[in-house]
Amino acid sequence: MMRITPRRSFKKRNFKRLTLVLGGLVLFCSCNKGHDGLVLMTDQTYKATVFATNKAGFGAPDGLRWNGSQLYLADEGAGALQVWNKDAGVKRLSDERMGTSSPEDLTIDAEGNIFFSDDSAGGVWEVDAHGGQHLLAGKDKGLYSTEGIALAPDGSILVGDADQHKIFRVTRSGEVSVFLGKESGINKPESMTFDDRGNLYIADNDDNILYLLDGNHQLHRVVDRKDDFSPETIFFARGSLYITDSQAGKLYLYTPNEELKTIAAFSGYLRNIQGVTVDDLGDIYVSVQSDLKNKIGYIIRLSKEAPLQVAVRN
Amino acid sequence: MIPNVALVTLFAEVTARLTILNDQILSQLNGLAGRSWLFDSLVSSSQENDLIKAGMIGCCFFAAWYSGKTLDQIRAQRKILMVTLVAAVCVTATTKMISNSITVPRPVVRSQKIYQLADDQLVELKRTSVRVPLDEASQKDHRDLLNGDVQSNNLESFPSDHAGFFLAISFGIFMASRRIGAIALGWTVFVILAGKLITGGHAPVDIAAGAVVAFSELSVLRFAARTRLGNLLDRMSMWTIKYSALSSALLFAVVFEISSTLFHVKQVVALLSAVRHRITG
Repeated sequence: MMRITPRRSFKKRNFKRLTLVLGGLVLFCSCNKGHDGLVLMTDQTYKATVFATNKAGFGAPDGLRWNGSQLYLADEGAGALQVWNKDAGVKRLSDERMGTSSPEDLTIDAEGNIFFSDDSAGGVWEVDAHGGQHLLAGKDKGLYSTEGIALAPDGSILVGDADQHKIFRVTRSGEVSVFLGKESGINKPESMTFDDRGNLYIADNDDNILYLLDGNHQLHRVVDRKDDFSPETIFFARGSLYITDSQAGKLYLYTPNEELKTIAAFSGYLRNIQGVTVDDLGDIYVSVQSDLKNKIGYIIRLSKEAPLQVAVRN
Repeated sequence: MIPNVALVTLFAEVTARLTILNDQILSQLNGLAGRSWLFDSLVSSSQENDLIKAGMIGCCFFAAWYSGKTLDQIRAQRKILMVTLVAAVCVTATTKMISNSITVPRPVVRSQKIYQLADDQLVELKRTSVRVPLDEASQKDHRDLLNGDVQSNNLESFPSDHAGFFLAISFGIFMASRRIGAIALGWTVFVILAGKLITGGHAPVDIAAGAVVAFSELSVLRFAARTRLGNLLDRMSMWTIKYSALSSALLFAVVFEISSTLFHVKQVVALLSAVRHRITG
């Protein structure tokens, strides 16, 4: 029978302690690491910065839209429509007291009237240029779970309904008609935007298809079930379509007749990217819902790096 | 006050030196890549091909299971190997849990322009200089990376789950049978883990952390096996000898899974998770 000498026993005890301490240290470090998030720039010409955090006063925004110097937020986390500007910070334009619950997407007309959808309360809501709020068309008119919203060239509002798998047209007087029915095959019209030629892009993030409805009312599949592609929000600017993908955590750029190009990949705490918009300077703004339940979100700005200065010697 | 300052200074100094060492080892080993297509293809095979990567470890496990000369020796070895299996599963779960909570991209990904969230600011990370192997699989992965197609596990490289899993199994085999264990450990270190460093898949610190998890959990479970689970393991080891045909069949399934790095088990877990997700909405 082997006997354990005191020296050997001491060594064994220390060895066990050491392994336990080291193991505990790894776990401790990992638990105390905080919220890690990464942005991988595929397009090297851009740089990423945090434009705003919850400290600005918003929750976890989804839809974003610039109008002049003001950034409008469909704040799903806070259940409110908000506006941000540099001097006044964040201001609520509409919230639960009006009957909204989970603002999803928004669009703004030339007069500054804001229209937004709500996937929980349903309907199309309006906050006019003077701050007046009202429900343009609600559940009583068949708008149960409204998602993507776009301003049509004729001034009417197009809104997608996830429950009914349809896109509706809502006039300024609140009349509702079917714009694209179930037969179109669109399952969840999560986001919509018009391009500069009057074509309507529709993002279906259930079937993971990007559609284009041309001027002849013909529906085309632009990106169809590409691996790891699930369009969340689309925004047309400067001849291209900016697309967020909350599942893959990617921001894409789609230019007609060109390949889909990845601008940036988001991960960790920043993975759940939602809304996207572009300002007059061409800077891209992406909303991130890091923790919707606890109303934690970010707005990330991707702007072009200043070109390198090249000194020329005579 | 002074001892505290000295301690902080010492900690900073040690961290800085370890960081330099980590970078130097990675640079030296990764420096072997990108020079010869044949060498890179062989290294890549050791990472991609389960037969080469894990088949050897599975064989060692099998050999250790049957290697005892007396009944007592066989039972003792089998008890160690059964604990090793449990430890390997726990280590895999632990490394996954840690890597999911810490975002550390693989060195090959860190060669790109990356911003990390720190105190509500995005800070650009220092880029690592990584040589890309010349084999087809690595070249395709690199093209995908340049196109932004980054798999989520490429952003969660700390600690290395391969290091944790294979070192736990190899340590376990080593405890059961020194000679066979030495082969398993050698294969793990010089083929599997060195390949990870050569291809830029992991930094030495990822592997060291995986090894710490493996060593810690195996030690804890071995301790528990001796104190609390002794009776259960006795009965199980007897059962494997009494029903040798059935236990061999089960062992085959286990070794098969070891050789595929628990790939099929992970698939089943993912399926169950998806079912649960669908049911609960």
